[in-house]
Amino acid sequence: MNLEDELRTALRRRDPSPDFAARVLARVQAEPVRRASGAWRRWVAAVAACLMLTVGAAGGYRYYEGQRAKAQVMLAMRIAAGKLNKAHKKVQMLNHRSNS
Amino acid sequence: MRMGRLLLGLGIAAALASAQQVKWNYEKLAARASETVDVSLSGNMLKLAVKFLSDEDKDQAQVKKLVAGLQGIYVKSFEFKNKGDYSAVDVESLRAPLRTAEWERIVGVHSTEDGEDVEVYIRNAGKGVGGLAIIATEAKELTLVNIVGNIDLETLSELGGQFGIPEVEVEKKK
Repeated sequence: MNLEDELRTALRRRDPSPDFAARVLARVQAEPVRRASGAWRRWVAAVAACLMLTVGAAGGYRYYEGQRAKAQVMLAMRIAAGKLNKAHKKVQMLNHRSNS
Repeated sequence: MRMGRLLLGLGIAAALASAQQVKWNYEKLAARASETVDVSLSGNMLKLAVKFLSDEDKDQAQVKKLVAGLQGIYVKSFEFKNKGDYSAVDVESLRAPLRTAEWERIVGVHSTEDGEDVEVYIRNAGKGVGGLAIIATEAKELTLVNIVGNIDLETLSELGGQFGIPEVEVEKKK
């Protein structure tokens, strides 16, 4: 058998068996629907959302802490300056009295 | 290895800052006070505060300049309902931690007229001032201020000029 005959035999038209369509349909119905790519996307979106929330919350907390620290520094400086000023005024007053 | 050294350095710095802080025992006073103001800012919190202090606001810019090199600010202010809720013994116990060689009283004013006393102490560091402590008493109020770190006396004098109060003239150390 030469090559031409072999090809002709191999590519010869054959009708499928009578139950071919039924078997294909049965197999399609039997296999679970694969939505792997969709589920993966949802997981990525959920993780990204969680990360964004965490980063946002951390940033918000840091901002709150910074504002609180700033307010405390200003309060502490007001108190310290006030007390120093009182001491200064009294020293000035005593100096004024001793000079006059 | 580098990280270990860094952590060791940070630990030593924190321990030194803690050592420089005045160890006042004010629990009994706090228990008797009707109102308490408590400001406790360590080095890390001060660094954070500095980031949030504005350069455009005059008061904030001045405070930012002052606190930039500090390691801690601690303020306790107690208000009492009645005169005599704290005693001279209580105040004396607050002076005790400042009676060491490293602390020096630079101002002490006592007024019998209005019952206001203010004592200002500075901590002598190798170069300049390493800290400030104030004990201020009134009839119904007692305030403790402790600033830890290298305080520039010139900036300190400017501090008094802020918040609408006259400037404190501090003689420069030579």
